[in-house]
Amino acid sequence: MDALLAFLTVFTQPELLLLVGLGTFAGVYVGAIPGLSVTMAVSILISFTFSWDVYPAISLMIGIYMGGVYGGSRTAILLNIPGAPSAIATAMDGYPMALRGEAGQAIGVTTVMSFIGGFVGIAALALAAPLVSDFALKFQPRDYMLLAVLGILLVGSLSTGSLVKGIFAGALGIAIGAVGRDPLTFAERFTFDLKLMESGISFIAVMIGMFGVSEALLQLHHVDKKSVRQTIDRIVPSLATVRKHLPLSMQTSTIGVIIGALPGTGGDIAALMAYDHAKRVTKKPSRPFGQGAMEGLVAPETANNAAVGGAFIPMMTLGIPGDAVTAIMIGALFIHGLNPGPMLMIDKPDMFWFIVGALVMANFFMLLFGLTGIKLFTKIVEMPRAVLIPLIMLLSIVGAYAVNNSITDVYWMLGFGVFGYFMRHYGYPLGPVILGVILSRLLDDNWRRAIISEREDLGRFFHGVFTSPLSTVLLVAVVLIFVSQTPLWAHAKARLARKDKA
Amino acid sequence: MKHFLLGAASALVVTVSAASAQDYPTKEIQGIIQWGAGGSTDTVMRSVTPHAEAILGGTVVMQNMTGGVGAIALNYVADAEADGYTVLMGAENPLLYKVMGLGDKDYSDFTAINLLARGTPILVAGPDAPFDDYAGMMDYIKAHPGEVRFGATGPGGLPSVITAMITTVEGGLDVISVPYDGDGPALTALQGGAIDVMPAVLGAAIEGIRAGSMKPLAIFDTEKNAKLPDAPIVTDFNAGYNTFLPWGPFFGVFVKKGTPDDVVAKLTAAYAEGAKNADFVELMDNRGFTMMGLSGADAEAFLAKWQQGTTWLLQDAGLTKASPEEFGIARPGK
Repeated sequence: MDALLAFLTVFTQPELLLLVGLGTFAGVYVGAIPGLSVTMAVSILISFTFSWDVYPAISLMIGIYMGGVYGGSRTAILLNIPGAPSAIATAMDGYPMALRGEAGQAIGVTTVMSFIGGFVGIAALALAAPLVSDFALKFQPRDYMLLAVLGILLVGSLSTGSLVKGIFAGALGIAIGAVGRDPLTFAERFTFDLKLMESGISFIAVMIGMFGVSEALLQLHHVDKKSVRQTIDRIVPSLATVRKHLPLSMQTSTIGVIIGALPGTGGDIAALMAYDHAKRVTKKPSRPFGQGAMEGLVAPETANNAAVGGAFIPMMTLGIPGDAVTAIMIGALFIHGLNPGPMLMIDKPDMFWFIVGALVMANFFMLLFGLTGIKLFTKIVEMPRAVLIPLIMLLSIVGAYAVNNSITDVYWMLGFGVFGYFMRHYGYPLGPVILGVILSRLLDDNWRRAIISEREDLGRFFHGVFTSPLSTVLLVAVVLIFVSQTPLWAHAKARLARKDKA
Repeated sequence: MKHFLLGAASALVVTVSAASAQDYPTKEIQGIIQWGAGGSTDTVMRSVTPHAEAILGGTVVMQNMTGGVGAIALNYVADAEADGYTVLMGAENPLLYKVMGLGDKDYSDFTAINLLARGTPILVAGPDAPFDDYAGMMDYIKAHPGEVRFGATGPGGLPSVITAMITTVEGGLDVISVPYDGDGPALTALQGGAIDVMPAVLGAAIEGIRAGSMKPLAIFDTEKNAKLPDAPIVTDFNAGYNTFLPWGPFFGVFVKKGTPDDVVAKLTAAYAEGAKNADFVELMDNRGFTMMGLSGADAEAFLAKWQQGTTWLLQDAGLTKASPEEFGIARPGK
C-alpha cells in the first residue's frame, strides 16, 4: 500500500508532474543535439537543484534522462547525425527512410518503439530488480571481454559492402580508443610524447566528426539538388504495424535491460547489439537492412530506452551505477542526504517506488512530445542545403566543444570529419569505427583483468571459462556467430538440406 | 618622461588590480573539478560550494575536467591567470605526479584555500572470502601464496599505497593485483567475486558493509571509527602500522600561487564558513570522512608531510618512476 502511494506521488503532485514533463521536453532537445549529452545535463542539474527537495530534483533528472535517450534518434533520422552514441544504429535505417520522404513515419515508429522499450525496462526494474542485479553481478572480467568480442563481431552487420573494409574500420576504431594514458597502468599509448594526446581522443568528437562533418561535406556534392519532400500524414504507426513488430521489440528490449543493467555497458552497446539481433532474426524485413528497414529502427530504439530502466536496477538495489547518468544520480542522492546502497531499498522503499513512478510518467511524456512537433522537425530536412550544411557544421563544432570545453576536441572533430569524408568516398563504412571506439576499452581492460586474475596463465583462463555456465554460453555464442558468418556455415547448411531431400 | 609614464602605468595597474581584488568576485568563478561527475571529489565539491557561494556573494560554475589522473585539470588551472577566478577542486593525487612520472606540477604551485576532509582507508573482503579479519587474511595469504586477488586502481591510487604499506610492514605480500578504473567498479567486482580483497575508502564501502555484502577486515587508522564501531583497526593486529597512520586521501580547494592575498583571504573565509554548514557536515559524516578544514600554513605543513610519507613509502615499495629525492622531497624523519 505504501509502495503504491509512493509510486503515485508523481501523478498526484502537479509540481512534480510539471518537472518530469519539463525535464522530458528539455531532454528530447538536449539529446537531439550531438555533443550535448544527458550526462552533461544531469551533472549541471546537480548544482542547479542543490537547494531543492530530493523529489523535485530527481523528477527533473529522470525526465531529462528518458527524453535525452530518445532525443538522440531525431537527428539520426533527419540528418544522419546521431545525437547521442546510443542512436548510431538508428541512423543506419532511419536516414534512408528520411531520404525517401518518410521521416515522419520513421519518427513515429521510433517514438512508439522507444515508449514500448522504456516500459519493458521500467517493468524489469519494478518487478525483477534484485533478480537482474544478482545476474549482472555474476559477470566476471572474462565475461565482459567475451561480450566485447561478441560486440566486435557486429562489424559484419554494420558494414554495408566490403567486409574487409569494415574490419579495417573496426580495427581503426579500436586503435583510436586505445590512445592516451592507459587507465589501468597510466602508461602512455600512441601519444608520441604529445601533451594533447595524453588524455586520449574524445569519443564524442570522433562520432560528431565522422557522422556530422563528413555528412555535411558529402552533401556539398549536391548543394543544388532539391531536398526531398516529406510526407507527414502517417505519423502514428497503425496498430497492425506495432503488433507486427511486437515480438522483435520484446526480444530487443530484453537485450536492452540486461546490457543496461551491467555496470560498464550502456545504451550505446545495447542498441548496436539489438540492431545486430534484428538483422539475424528478421527473415523478411520490410526493406533490406540499411535501406530503410522498419526493423532497423525498432531494435535499437527499444533497446536503448529499455536500457534506462536497466541502468536503474543496480543503482537502486546495490548503489552501483549502471551507466554514466546513474553514476551522477547516485551523487545527487548523496548530496540530498540519502545513502544509496544495498540498504536504500530497505530503509527507503518509498524512494524506489517514487523513481519507478517518475520513470513511468517520463515515458508517457516522451510519447507525447515525441509525436507532437514532428512537422516542425521534418522542416529541417526540407531546408535548402545552403542553409542546412552550415547549420550542421555549427552544431558539430558547438557539440564537440561542449563535451570537455576544449578547443582541441574541435580540431579532432574536424580532422575526423575530413577523414570520415574520404572513408565514405572510398566505401569504408563508418559504423564499425564508432563500434571499435566504444568497445576498445571494454575489450582491452577486461581481457587484461581476466588474464591478470589467472596469473597470466591461459590454461587457467580457459578452465575458468568452461567451469562457468555464463562464460561458456558467451563463448559458444561468439563461436557460433563467427562460424555463421563464414562460407563453412553455408556449405554445412547446403549439405544438410541435400541430405534431407535424399 | 618615459620612466614616469611607465611608473604611472604600473601604479595604475596596481590600483586597478587592488580595486578588483577588493570587489572580488566581480564575475563568475570557474571551479574545475579534477574527477568525473558522480565521484567522491565531485560530490564533496558540489555539496560544499553552494554554501561557500552564499558567503562569497558570487557564483562558482563547477565543471568536471577529467583525464590524466587529474593532471589535465591541474594544468588547466596552473595555466590560467592567478586572479582567483579559476579554482581547482582536487584530491590527493597531484602530490604523487612527480614521482609517478605523470607531470611536473603539484600543489607546490598552488595555494590551498581549504583542505576540507580526509578519508579513512579500509580493507574489505567479499562475503564469501575464507577469512573474516586482517589476521585471518594474512594467514590465508601465507598458506596460499599468489592466490588471493587484490583490487587496485593504478599506481598512486589508494589501493597501491595501502598495498605498499602492507608490504613494508609485513615484509611481503604475495597476491595478484587486478587493476580497475576506480574503487566503485572494483567494489562491484568484489561483490561479484572477481576479486577477493579491496583496499577502499571507508565512505565507498560503508553501505555494502552495513548490508552484509562486504566484510570489513581492518580499518587503516589508529583509532576506531564511529561509523563502524565493530570493525577492528589494523594497528591492533600489527603495531608497525603506527609509523604510517593516520593516512588517507583528502579533498581540497586550491588557487594558483601568486593570487592576490585578499582574494585568497576572501575565498578561504568563504570555504571555511561553508564547510561548517550543518548539511555538509552531516553528509561528510555519513560518508565516513573526517573533517579537516585546513588552510594557510597548516595546509602547507599537512601537504608536505603527506607527500613525504606517501612518496617515500611508494619509493621503498619500488612503485615510483623517479625518486622523491630528485624533487627535493625529504625522507620523513630527516
